[in-house]
Amino acid sequence: MEAIKIINSIKDDFKSTIQSMNYFYELFEKVYCKNEPLHNGKTKIGTMCIQIPSEIIYALDGVPIRLCNGFYTDDEIGSDLLTQKACPLVKATVGHFASNNFTDKPDIVFSPTTCDQKTKAGAIVKNFGYKVVDVDFPRTKESEGSREYWRKSIKQFAVELSKFKNKKLTKSNLEVSIKKIGYAQSLYHKLSEYRKQEIAPILGVDMFLITNAFFFDKIDSWIEAMEVLLKEMKTRVDEKINVAGKMSPRIVFTGSPPIFPNYKIPLIIEQSDALIVADETCSSNRMFNDMVAVDEWNLYDMIDSISDKYLKACTCPIFTTNDDRIRRIIDLVKNYKADAVVYQAFAGCTVYEMEQRSVLDAMEKAGIPILYIESDYSPSQQGQLSTRIEAFVESLKTRRRNKNR
Amino acid sequence: MSNLKRKINNMNLVRFRFWFQIVAFLLIVYGGYIGFDLGNKLPTFACVYNGDFTGGKCYLGMLQHDLKHPWETFLGFAGYAFLISLGIFIGWLWLLNKAWCGYVCPLGTMQDWITAFRTKLKIRFSQYDWSSRAKIKPIKWILLILLLIIPVMIANSVFGLPKLPNGLSMPFCDICPGRMLIPAFTGDFGQFYIDFSSKTDLVMTTLGMIIVGLFLIGSFIKKRFFCYFCPMAALQYTFSKPALLKLYKDGSKCTKCGDCYRACDMDILEIADDVTSKNLVTEDCTLCLKCVAACPEEGCLEANFAGKTIFESTKEGFIIRMAMDKKGESS
Repeated sequence: MEAIKIINSIKDDFKSTIQSMNYFYELFEKVYCKNEPLHNGKTKIGTMCIQIPSEIIYALDGVPIRLCNGFYTDDEIGSDLLTQKACPLVKATVGHFASNNFTDKPDIVFSPTTCDQKTKAGAIVKNFGYKVVDVDFPRTKESEGSREYWRKSIKQFAVELSKFKNKKLTKSNLEVSIKKIGYAQSLYHKLSEYRKQEIAPILGVDMFLITNAFFFDKIDSWIEAMEVLLKEMKTRVDEKINVAGKMSPRIVFTGSPPIFPNYKIPLIIEQSDALIVADETCSSNRMFNDMVAVDEWNLYDMIDSISDKYLKACTCPIFTTNDDRIRRIIDLVKNYKADAVVYQAFAGCTVYEMEQRSVLDAMEKAGIPILYIESDYSPSQQGQLSTRIEAFVESLKTRRRNKNR
Repeated sequence: MSNLKRKINNMNLVRFRFWFQIVAFLLIVYGGYIGFDLGNKLPTFACVYNGDFTGGKCYLGMLQHDLKHPWETFLGFAGYAFLISLGIFIGWLWLLNKAWCGYVCPLGTMQDWITAFRTKLKIRFSQYDWSSRAKIKPIKWILLILLLIIPVMIANSVFGLPKLPNGLSMPFCDICPGRMLIPAFTGDFGQFYIDFSSKTDLVMTTLGMIIVGLFLIGSFIKKRFFCYFCPMAALQYTFSKPALLKLYKDGSKCTKCGDCYRACDMDILEIADDVTSKNLVTEDCTLCLKCVAACPEEGCLEANFAGKTIFESTKEGFIIRMAMDKKGESS
């Protein structure tokens, strides 16, 4: 129910729909409404966070399925198993395992020890009888020790998965998968380029769907769909088709990740005549922004490069300092000519809640308006949220008008 | 113009540099055959022992020679000669800055060849840990000070100490691996010797032989092994600030992903972690520009010549260099 409602809302509530988005709408419908599995006969490798390298999974002939979940129904199941105050994303993920209602059920789950709740969630899921392997993740990224530690963790992960799959990780299979994911990322970057333009050819919610599809889709189909989409984007830009209004404020979205079907906040933003032009979240931009950079294309350097990508470039709030994240948000605002930032924090997502103040201070210093919203997965707060967001959007429009004058 | 710029930013820097280094190597080591000569004040290891074949000569040799004068002469004509030489050296340096190391130096090129050989064998490189890395940093400065002081102490009695033996007149050349390796490329293996004629010569030439061995083994294990200790790098850095060629960084665009640091043969941590400085030509930098080529952020790192950007990091360039611009094989 949740799923189809959201898909229909994205499809129908906005003007000038993108034809090639239908692939993604249908994909979500297939997986989440009709429960049609995508990866029959393949080994499905569940991942609990962004930090488990898909490069290595594909190289070993597995399919990565990111299990971060956005369903309110699962959140409710999870609430009985975890504390009520826990993060809805973690509750929903655990609830999903408890209900065992997978379209593509993971054969093994790798759980990086990122935030406290995710760390504990791994152990809870293990108790349900799933095969869960913890992957040690450091909570600082500046030190030499943490870099070495994480490189060792990734090597260990590769060994475990290699044993599980009974397949050897080689220079050639890893190189192929690094370049394939790199290519997929390059398509995301190409699409993002279009979002920098004055006339915006694509909605933020559509973008979230596209990136979210990368959690579970067949990578080759995803790449194909993106290529088709990019072609359509080009013609739309040539024809100057705008998905938003001329005065629509441009928003950079940051904070707790919107994961299908929890697109509550992004949807309200765009229904309130604003447009999300960029984001800094782990369900979208953070997944694609940084590509693996290898200096010596041998196994040893490829694995280290992969490790570094998932640690050094990551702007997750679980790390001790967050200067990188602030710099990144400001850079996005500048590059995408955004008017403001919307910061979503799930109630119970302590790290995002705690980082709120420093980000707000930094934005104030930089003269960037920011709206901080605490939200959860429940459908009940709709009215209150839209009032706040609409007021914020209005104030941005006024600000723009005054500037133009 | 913007098309040309895009082509340059998309170039395969590794290949460009490989060929540039070969041409530079040929000119420096064999240039004499065709009458090519850049003089004897070059900020790079163009070895004076390479005789008539060399396409130029290293300033360190000249410098040691210039300083070996009694005070009286040094305060007179020898001092002028010293200043003129230094001026010419600085002139050369300002033209290319430390790119003399990354693009021209024959010893540097040799080390890169050894690295390429190791990569072919699929043997992993080694790295210093950060604390050792910090500890070896001063060694090149100590070597520089020694090569400055020793010639002075041969010609003069400093602080009432006895004068040093004449056998030390070119102290750095004695231990420089270039003295043995570069002439070897023109068929002269005569520099591989141990001189038993005096104690000083015995010690210095033995040290030289040991260092050649270390150079060959070291650079197989560690990229640019010798450059960490090179007094030329220290001397260059002293005068590098006003140079025309620069490596600039825009910290606001940096995500600290560390791609540049991993590409860096000199393990320079600042390149990734310093988000406030603009000029990133640090004391160990060889201006090889591998960091620029490895940077995925638009305009975050750039090579700048006299205020003009000549090569900068771009997303497109990064994607092309990593061969991520094509679909490739499907699994």
